Amino acid sequence: MNIKGSPWKGSLLLLLVSNLLLSHYIHNLSSEMFSEFDKRYTHGRGFITKAINSCHTSSLATPEDKEQAQQINQKDFLSLIVSILRSWNEPLYHLVTEVRGMQEAPEAILSKAVEIEEQTKRLLEGMELIVSQVHPETKENEIYPVWSGLSSLQMADEESRLSAYYNLLHCLRRDSHKIDNYLKLLKCRIIHNNNC
Amino acid sequence: MKENVASATVFTLLLFLNTCLLNGQLPPGKPEIFKCRSPNKETFTCWWKPGTDGGLPTNYSLTYHREGETLMHECPDYITGGPNSCHFGKQYTSMWRTYIMMVNATNQMGSSFSDELYVDVTYIVQPDPPLELAVEVKQPEDRKPYLWIKWSPPTLIDLKTGWFTLLYEIRLKPEKAAEWEIHFAGQQTEFKILSLHPGQKYLVQVRCKPDHGYWSAWSPATFIQIPSDFTMNDTTVWISVAVLSAVICLIIVWAVALKGYSMVTCIFPPVPGPKIKGFDAHLLEKGKSEELLSALGCQDFPPTSDYEDLLVEYLEVDDSEDQHLMSVHSKEHPSQGMKPTYLDPDTDSGRGSCDSPSLLSEKCEEPQTNPSTFYDPEVIEKPENPETTHTWDPQCISMEGKIPYFHAGGSKCSTWPLPQPSQHNPRSSYHNITDVCELAVGPAGAPATLLDEAGKDALKSSQTIKSGEEGKATQQREVESFHSETDQDTPWLLPQEKTPFGSAKPLDYVEIHKVNKDGALSLLPKQRENSGQPKKPGTPENNKEYAKVSGVMDNNILVLVSDPHAKNMACFEESAKEGPPSLEQNQAEKALANFPATPSKCRLQLGGLDYLDPACFTHSFH
Repeated sequence: MNIKGSPWKGSLLLLLVSNLLLSHYIHNLSSEMFSEFDKRYTHGRGFITKAINSCHTSSLATPEDKEQAQQINQKDFLSLIVSILRSWNEPLYHLVTEVRGMQEAPEAILSKAVEIEEQTKRLLEGMELIVSQVHPETKENEIYPVWSGLSSLQMADEESRLSAYYNLLHCLRRDSHKIDNYLKLLKCRIIHNNNC
Repeated sequence: MKENVASATVFTLLLFLNTCLLNGQLPPGKPEIFKCRSPNKETFTCWWKPGTDGGLPTNYSLTYHREGETLMHECPDYITGGPNSCHFGKQYTSMWRTYIMMVNATNQMGSSFSDELYVDVTYIVQPDPPLELAVEVKQPEDRKPYLWIKWSPPTLIDLKTGWFTLLYEIRLKPEKAAEWEIHFAGQQTEFKILSLHPGQKYLVQVRCKPDHGYWSAWSPATFIQIPSDFTMNDTTVWISVAVLSAVICLIIVWAVALKGYSMVTCIFPPVPGPKIKGFDAHLLEKGKSEELLSALGCQDFPPTSDYEDLLVEYLEVDDSEDQHLMSVHSKEHPSQGMKPTYLDPDTDSGRGSCDSPSLLSEKCEEPQTNPSTFYDPEVIEKPENPETTHTWDPQCISMEGKIPYFHAGGSKCSTWPLPQPSQHNPRSSYHNITDVCELAVGPAGAPATLLDEAGKDALKSSQTIKSGEEGKATQQREVESFHSETDQDTPWLLPQEKTPFGSAKPLDYVEIHKVNKDGALSLLPKQRENSGQPKKPGTPENNKEYAKVSGVMDNNILVLVSDPHAKNMACFEESAKEGPPSLEQNQAEKALANFPATPSKCRLQLGGLDYLDPACFTHSFH
């Protein structure tokens, strides 16, 4: 499993597994949050059509199938995950702030948003820790995609505003699934040598 | 001519239309893509429902484009998924990207398009059911038998690289049962079932789901016959044990029912009542005090006078031999009661703080009666004062408003039980005691024994102790209450001044020095201060041994006898007896009421015990 001299000590492996649990949990929450939002505000109104190409992380070159994922190396893979997580710091923060400030803020959605924001922070810290241990040469200031949808969230027109929230939650659901899948790939690769 | 051509044309057209209509040929109806599924996140298939076909052969084509691309594609595989399906192979499948697709139905008459469907492979994942479900009954020798269920993941799913994660669930039930027993198996591909009904035929099924996605269908059922001897030895043993225990319990219950009370008494013997050696309850009832007392080994137990006439100082008569003293109020707590102790304040009976031999002690009152205070529990229960509660508070409690009496039962303190705070309670207690005494001694006067009186006095004094000056008054009264009927050289200390109790005779005053083992009072004649007092000529000695109370006279006159010179008698007078209860109360009240303040110097602090020097009181009287 581990080559002698590999930086993946037992504690780091545990950290990896722990991060994996976090990512699984975060996606579950995101999925539920999206479903609740859609059911309540946007169902059957074709908001999906406007969500095409709306995710700010689409500029990142992320693997989209198993073969692509197999080809990416461990270091890049880890950096990629960290970038995605970093890029979600700000949108999550604003999501919580804006939902909280809504009149009749939907409590179920707000509570999930709060939880997702918190757990994503923890996941990011965990991943950064792994990277610093396994690939200490990695530069700290990696670029990550910037989200600029705040103004959309605050639009006066309800249709536009709903569309902005829909897109945000839609992209969150997708990216959290992506991160979860990547970590599961990494786990089987690192801990079980692709023999899960 | 022209008309013919026109009509012919119209006729032909109509004929043509008729033909068409009769055939029912129409452009196809609108198809609808109703389902897309990916079993492994590497391929996926979509199925559509055709609309009406318009009676003509209709072609269907599915076209799509993907998020972020503009190029339109057509379905790569119409075959693999079956009719009216489109299968997307590995190279055409991407995760985390929306597919926008639609189906076009075309026939001779026309075509129609379905609505656009937005599909992301990420959210359409549903695996096939697990395969190779194997069920087996395993009965190892040393361990419990179980059902061993094993299966394999469906094909074409990549678990090794972690691309796909599967979770399993099994269910089973006896063939005829209505409800399934469901077990979640996580990511493992085997399972053990321990609790099964022997001799039954079971159905077992398994299904799976991705970490985020839909459950598969249930696998085909596997049947298994559980052998009849499936039950564990443990169970058999436990059942036998349970049955045996039940039988034994039944037998016991039956035996108890039959034997009834005698058995109960055998198992739970009644708690013995307190016993005093030589004490005969019947004698007590009869009121033959002399017999009673003589049986107990007393001699000529004289009646005490009124309680106020009794000793100033608290007497504690300790008969260490006799461990059978009864507590007044409770048969059940016999021997904790009065243990006479030496009056010597330094002598601690060793029974703890509560056993301080001073009624004047604030903490615990513990008038330990001398052996002569015998209380028939039956008698005790007679008090007419309704305020009296027999639930003596056996605790060592502070004296506020309460006067401890006997300790009533196995409390840690041998204190006098405390009646409920009320002015009358002490009296009632008194009265109880007196009652008993009276009954015991007969009309000759309640053997308000020394200690009894002392007890009462203690009560009073203790009560007064509580209230400071008031206490002093009480003390005073107490001291004063001792009459000495004697005209002999019985130097009882009796500051007499205004005893409410009738005949106050000039008396000698003695100081009770101590009470020795045998119940003898060791008295000190007060010669220093009582110069003016009529003194018995025969009492020059400082210490005389007055061994015993020789008897009770006249209803509360305690006759003391000194051992070597058994002439001197001290009689204590009590006030005339009316009816004991109320009188006692009145007397007590009066006694209490009449106390002047005790001069402070009269209070001798001796090891925490307050003793009044009765000599002090003589001053106030003269």
